Amino acid sequence: MTRLARRARVELERGWRATRIAWTATCVWLREKLPQWWDRALGRDPDARDYSAIHLRNAEQIFRTATTLRGLLLKVCQVVGTRSDVFPPEYVRTLARAQDRVPPRPFAVIRELVERELAKPLDAVFASFDPEPLASASLAQVHRARLVDGREVAVKVQYPDIEHIVRTDLASLRRICIVYERFDPQPLALLPLLDELQKHLALELDFRREVENAERVRALFRKNPDVVVPEIDFAHSTARVITMELVAGIKANDRAGLVAAGIELDEVVQGLTSLWNQMIMGLGFFHADPHPGNVLIQPGPRFVILDFGLAKQLPKGFGLGLFELMFSMMTENEAAMVRAFQELGFRTRTGDPETYRRIARRMIESSVRGNTRGELSEEMTDELFESIRKDPIVSVPSDFVLVARVFALLSGIAHTLGGRPNTLDSLGGRN
Amino acid sequence: MARLEWSREELLEDVPTDEPLFAGGVRCHGGFAGGRYVSPRTANRVPAIRSWQERLRSEGQPLVDVPRAFVPPHYPNYPQAKLLLQEGVRDPITRSLTLISIVEGFGARIRDLALPDLRREVVEDIAGTALAHLGGGLFEAHARDEAGWRDQGGHKQMWEAARDLGLAKPEIPDDVLLAMMGGNGRGERRRLFPELAPRLEESIAFLANVMIVEIFAEDVFEWAKALLGDPEVSAEPAGAPALVAHIQADESPHVEYLRTALSELRARTLRSADGKRELAGREVVDRILETQLRQIASTRPARERADVQGAIRLALDDTPAAAQLARRFESLDSGWTFPKPDDERLVLLAR
Repeated sequence: MTRLARRARVELERGWRATRIAWTATCVWLREKLPQWWDRALGRDPDARDYSAIHLRNAEQIFRTATTLRGLLLKVCQVVGTRSDVFPPEYVRTLARAQDRVPPRPFAVIRELVERELAKPLDAVFASFDPEPLASASLAQVHRARLVDGREVAVKVQYPDIEHIVRTDLASLRRICIVYERFDPQPLALLPLLDELQKHLALELDFRREVENAERVRALFRKNPDVVVPEIDFAHSTARVITMELVAGIKANDRAGLVAAGIELDEVVQGLTSLWNQMIMGLGFFHADPHPGNVLIQPGPRFVILDFGLAKQLPKGFGLGLFELMFSMMTENEAAMVRAFQELGFRTRTGDPETYRRIARRMIESSVRGNTRGELSEEMTDELFESIRKDPIVSVPSDFVLVARVFALLSGIAHTLGGRPNTLDSLGGRN
Repeated sequence: MARLEWSREELLEDVPTDEPLFAGGVRCHGGFAGGRYVSPRTANRVPAIRSWQERLRSEGQPLVDVPRAFVPPHYPNYPQAKLLLQEGVRDPITRSLTLISIVEGFGARIRDLALPDLRREVVEDIAGTALAHLGGGLFEAHARDEAGWRDQGGHKQMWEAARDLGLAKPEIPDDVLLAMMGGNGRGERRRLFPELAPRLEESIAFLANVMIVEIFAEDVFEWAKALLGDPEVSAEPAGAPALVAHIQADESPHVEYLRTALSELRARTLRSADGKRELAGREVVDRILETQLRQIASTRPARERADVQGAIRLALDDTPAAAQLARRFESLDSGWTFPKPDDERLVLLAR
């Protein structure tokens, strides 16, 4: 293909992606706005209308567009799927499915990139390289391979065109958000979300950063033989390829597999809670994506932690603030909960502490009904975010959202295994 | 005989006060009546405990107690802590006071204790005893005292306020929660009486443990009052120790109801899980209490002290003239030695 033709193809593809994204955005916006205009024209209250069917239809269209265009849009869906504080539940439920719907790229594309990155033919580095990926995600996929020295490894390969796709799609999304915020009198705060996503993506796309994260977590747990972080093969890792020790284990939510291996499910649930509590509240640096594919269990139980693309350093005092929030919820102390919200960086539109108090009361009531044992479970974070959507809290700290997502993922694993994590036990609150 | 039956609401009832207690800007429980501090939820709880104790005495039964001789002194002790503050080494003291507040707060977990049906487990009638009121207000009052409730702070918040007043709102070290972690809550107690229902034995051990910890906390109160009341190192030598004194006063009913309940069990007969055997409460309670006491007085505090010692040494290393300061610090050590778990002197005393 000539350079000109290649350039034309790139521009055409960019135009096609931008058009498809703009079309989807327009459909979504009109589907939301037309009924409001109609209601107002007839003198009815638009807020009295039930929007759940409209939300669902919109979410389905966004999901279809994302699975067609892949790349950044899948990532956006995954992010929206975790932001129940901002988006209605129909969006959250539908778009969270994007996590499991990532088709792999052809092996030829992957091979070309690995050879380019390692500056060697594949055969010169690997004795074997499985063309079928072990897993594929929005930015990369992972292959099983054996190095020429015989070591079994997992090779994580970034999609070759992903940086370009991310750049193009981010620009399209930003334009759409600017137009949307200009025309909508009460817009959702989408631009800050986009800024945050852009920041995270820049980090995630640099695999050297992921390697650093893995090494940091390994160092944090160097004295804990129950935590396994695969060894990185630095000689065969670059900004777009990571070669690491292949570590066996059972997926954390594979109940049947764990039982067959004689692993106590309660110990898995409590151990996971304990590890992430240590990272979040004790050490201030944590792996922010403990979905079941990223945590494998070995007999013991020992916990194999994979994929450090999303890891986060928390600001000073955040761990203690989070502890105070959970602890005050457990002990039904509304006043302490209000202080914890403020210390964590939640902000209300009016600055009225009564907003926090209402949310605190609602969460405590829900906690007492559900007999919570101190965990920030999926149900409790749903309750919090539902309250926040209804009350005028304008700022939820992004670190809190990330942490809440981690606890929700862990509570999902616990739910599948039939156990209940006890946050306070793992903090030493058991005599 | 004095009244022995109380409702949950009665046991949670406050003495009316003229003025609420504010600690560090936080509304706390309790308050002031005629200028004197009044502990929360004591309108009926204190008279109730007194009447249950009188009943025990009238039946010729002793109240269990633990020997104070083995209460380990707080580490670092008052002169050592004062030296650290004077030399600007504040983190160990801040960490210590913060941990005390968190541990106090965890005391609220007593309300989660799944008590067995004691009317079934105990041969004799338990009506009109502290035992019969544990889940009927005593645990709840204890929990609220420790961690606060609704719009009022409890001991956790009062300790935090005392720390912030005395040390002028110090920066909290990042590793304060890490100091409590490490275990995963999987540890199980060794069964001493396998013939008893596990939940019964677990409950007795829990009560014994909390009682001993509460009694051992006496030294912590004295340490904190001395340090936070010392004008040479405290920013609020009047307000900060006063808060600690209030907490100390609030704790008294905790120790008393726990002693009473354990003594009542001791004076009764327990059924085995299969219902075929009967065990003397005295034998069960004494052995469990003694086992707990041996552990709490020996290995546990020795381990904790070693951890704190390590953290203090690291903090001292960061100071100019580190070696000299370390020597001065060590010279102020109380020389306390922890008894071994099998020390014959660690026996339960019944009063």
